[in-house]
Amino acid sequence: MSVNDFWTPFSLLPFLNALIIGISLISIWLIAALGLTIIYGTMGVINMAHGEFIMLGAYSTYVLQTLIGIPFLLCLPLSFLILAAIGWVIERGVIRTLYRRPLDTLLATWGLSLILVQGVRLIFGGEPKYVGVPSWLNFQIEADFIHLSGLRLFIIVMAIVMVAVTWFLLYRTTLGICVRAVMQDKEMAASFGIDANRIYSLTFCYGAGLAGVAGSMFGALKTLFPDMGGGYIVEAFLVVVIGGVTLAGSVLSASLLGELNSIFSYFTNDTFARFILFTLVVVFLRIRPQGLLAEKMTRR
Amino acid sequence: MSLLELKDVTKVYNDYVAVENFNFSVTDGELRCLLGPNGAGKTTCIDLITGRQRLTSGAILFAGDDICRLPEQSIARLGIGRKFQVPAIFKELTVEDNLEVAFSRKKDPFANMMTLHRSYGQNRSDEIVELVGLKDRLSSQAGLLSHGETQWLEIGMVLIQDPRLLLMDEPTAGMTEQETMKTSEIFNSLKGSHTLVVVEHDMSFVREIADIITVMHMGTMLAEGTLEEIGNDPRVKEVYLGSEGLG
Amino acid sequence: MNGNIYHNRKAQWAIYLAAFAALALLPIFFDSPFTLNLLARYCVFALLAVSVSLVWGYAGILSLGQAIAFGLAAYGMAMTMQMQYQDPVSDPIPSFMLTNELKTLPLVWAPFWSTPIGLILTFGVPTVFFIGFGILMFQARVAGVFVAIMTLAMTAAWYSMAYDMQPFTAGFNGISPPLPFQIFGTEVDPYSAGAYWVCVAFLAVLTLGAKFLMQTKFGLIVQAIRDDAERARFLGYNVAYYQVVVFALSGFLAASAGFCWVLIVQYVSPTSLEIVFSISIVIWAAVGGRTSLLGAIIGAFLVNGMQSFVGDELQQVWMLILGAIFIGVVLFLPRGLAGFFELVLGLFSGRREPQKSDWSTRRTSAVTKESAE
Repeated sequence: MSVNDFWTPFSLLPFLNALIIGISLISIWLIAALGLTIIYGTMGVINMAHGEFIMLGAYSTYVLQTLIGIPFLLCLPLSFLILAAIGWVIERGVIRTLYRRPLDTLLATWGLSLILVQGVRLIFGGEPKYVGVPSWLNFQIEADFIHLSGLRLFIIVMAIVMVAVTWFLLYRTTLGICVRAVMQDKEMAASFGIDANRIYSLTFCYGAGLAGVAGSMFGALKTLFPDMGGGYIVEAFLVVVIGGVTLAGSVLSASLLGELNSIFSYFTNDTFARFILFTLVVVFLRIRPQGLLAEKMTRR
Repeated sequence: MSLLELKDVTKVYNDYVAVENFNFSVTDGELRCLLGPNGAGKTTCIDLITGRQRLTSGAILFAGDDICRLPEQSIARLGIGRKFQVPAIFKELTVEDNLEVAFSRKKDPFANMMTLHRSYGQNRSDEIVELVGLKDRLSSQAGLLSHGETQWLEIGMVLIQDPRLLLMDEPTAGMTEQETMKTSEIFNSLKGSHTLVVVEHDMSFVREIADIITVMHMGTMLAEGTLEEIGNDPRVKEVYLGSEGLG
Repeated sequence: MNGNIYHNRKAQWAIYLAAFAALALLPIFFDSPFTLNLLARYCVFALLAVSVSLVWGYAGILSLGQAIAFGLAAYGMAMTMQMQYQDPVSDPIPSFMLTNELKTLPLVWAPFWSTPIGLILTFGVPTVFFIGFGILMFQARVAGVFVAIMTLAMTAAWYSMAYDMQPFTAGFNGISPPLPFQIFGTEVDPYSAGAYWVCVAFLAVLTLGAKFLMQTKFGLIVQAIRDDAERARFLGYNVAYYQVVVFALSGFLAASAGFCWVLIVQYVSPTSLEIVFSISIVIWAAVGGRTSLLGAIIGAFLVNGMQSFVGDELQQVWMLILGAIFIGVVLFLPRGLAGFFELVLGLFSGRREPQKSDWSTRRTSAVTKESAE
């Protein structure tokens, strides 16, 4: 066994391909983290069931596609609505009672994630399920150093679209102003007649919906199984926390983390890359605990 | 001898200037009142002295040594104690335990592993418990005390800590008249053996305890002097008290 | 002695000693090897729950990374046991390494030829890691949720390591030492009462040690830091130092659990480093009552006991119920079963001190406390 078993030497074309894969990874992590950014950013809620929301999005798409025959593209907004509805129920039932208690929210949502995983396992069984990729996405780009599937390209495009839509909602609509007001100072916003509870509900639903859309797409990327959410939750959290819990921050941190992961993956391998990345994250948080692009005002 | 000295202290948060070129000197054994409208920078000064915030520029000297680089616990160990604006106590612990923690002379974790607590049953502690009126509440959980009792507990903790310099941030907030009277008696009894800096708004309380008053405004010193001098100072009247004077 | 007997120290120690005595006597009533081994496993889980109670209930640090110490120690013990089996001359390399085409024993494995050194590494490496990791976090004043996330990320990182470094760790297959642990010339049969008593001994000694520690001045200050770290700092305490010490101690407890685990199951795999496992430990402690060491033990026994009782068929349903129980505990019973017990005893204590509280957020305002447990 030599060093080369752990370390791949540098060569241009495969490396460039790794960078492109990195962009795909960025888009995946960004979409996965988007809902969480909104929820954590607005409400300070640590939703450990976020990965399961993604999973539910995937399973909804599976059901819609396989059992009802709805085309893939239409599954996306439907997943959004389904998850938004689920999110509404959860917010009212559990999250609402735990607002000032972030650690308790973390734990309670973990319990929730257990319920969701087991629930899905009981209903659908533990065997992998598949979401079919629609024919119009069923292509591969094979250029010099770019090896990218149509689906991955679609996800990259969707990432841009979803971030843009979220940005627009947050910064160009009255609703967005209300959300940002509540983000900054709940009491002050209330004194201006903004119903903070309603804003929280809407925000949670929106974040859950985003996770649903993420799941729809990820489901097509890989197989579906009940605990697939676990593969997204840690990365999503890291993106949010490193980014400083802002939209721009999440974009930046997803870019950094995704690309770094890809680069490390290229030189070593997938799981070792994770180890390095996570260790770097821990070190980074120690140096700059507020994240990359945190809000200037200190909340809470 | 000046125990505490702030020299040209400036603190800027991003683009907000909280304290600007503030000069402040307190003699050993003195009781100084620090007054000023909300936002004048009084609590920020306390934060800077205790190390909770870092200076932007200037120096803070305690007994001649510059302390502005030290961490909070080191500053506390040098002999600076603080009472917070919003009383800070250990809610899940009993009153007795709160005082025990405040009293501790040994700070090292491993030394403390060798000590079974309940070591503080010394005369002074009983005195202080009596003084702050919490003798009957020793076994109560601190989080269940009334607001006034919580203030007393924190005062008791600072007294038991026995620091050379006591920084009291609005110690009578929420207190009744009798309680305020009692606080003024305690503070007056501490003069000489201890040095106190008291941030306050309650003018009747200030009248009972003040020798020299420093008035802050917009992050810097507005006026300094005795009660009469301050009361007659036109700048103070205008900025802080309106046209009614010290009332 | 007025007030709630729950807080009477003598009563507490009596209960603790009685509980451990009862545990020690169990082999008299349950002598089937399978049951003994199962009970021993519960003891290991209980020790893990105690480590969480210590670091979370007493110190206020929600660490989701106890699995790291557990896993590292488990791997260390497995490596020690594996090398006990190997012979330096005829069979120096473990079979899984040969399958991975290793020609020589990796450097990391070499120290494990010596059992004493292997044991030192088993207990030492996790503890040292926790010291380092703790310094990293607490020096930077990382607190609350961020500690949870960082420990979570670190657990995920170590899981990846164990999973992927196949030539070194046997990857997802895990390491199965062919022989039970040998010490002082004898073999420790994992299904024996002896092995069970080792686990009980570790549990008892470490729990009682932790309990005693929490009753010293050190323990009081740790709890004060939990309530208001800043206040403690202004009283002159080096908060980060205390936090690192408690964190490292909890790591040592989790490492001890890892040692016992491999002793009785003779196997380790990356599952010992799974996030799900790490969080399960928190669930056991929460259900039993995180501010009570004995509560954590009971929580671990109860949840795992139910899990075994429910049987393979209903495992999925049970996990679902567990999730619901956990949410219920967080919402309605934040101090767990121990807290409930405290409440009930409080009702029987007779003397209720009139409380005037205008800013208390606690439900149970009638409880008086003599000391923290």
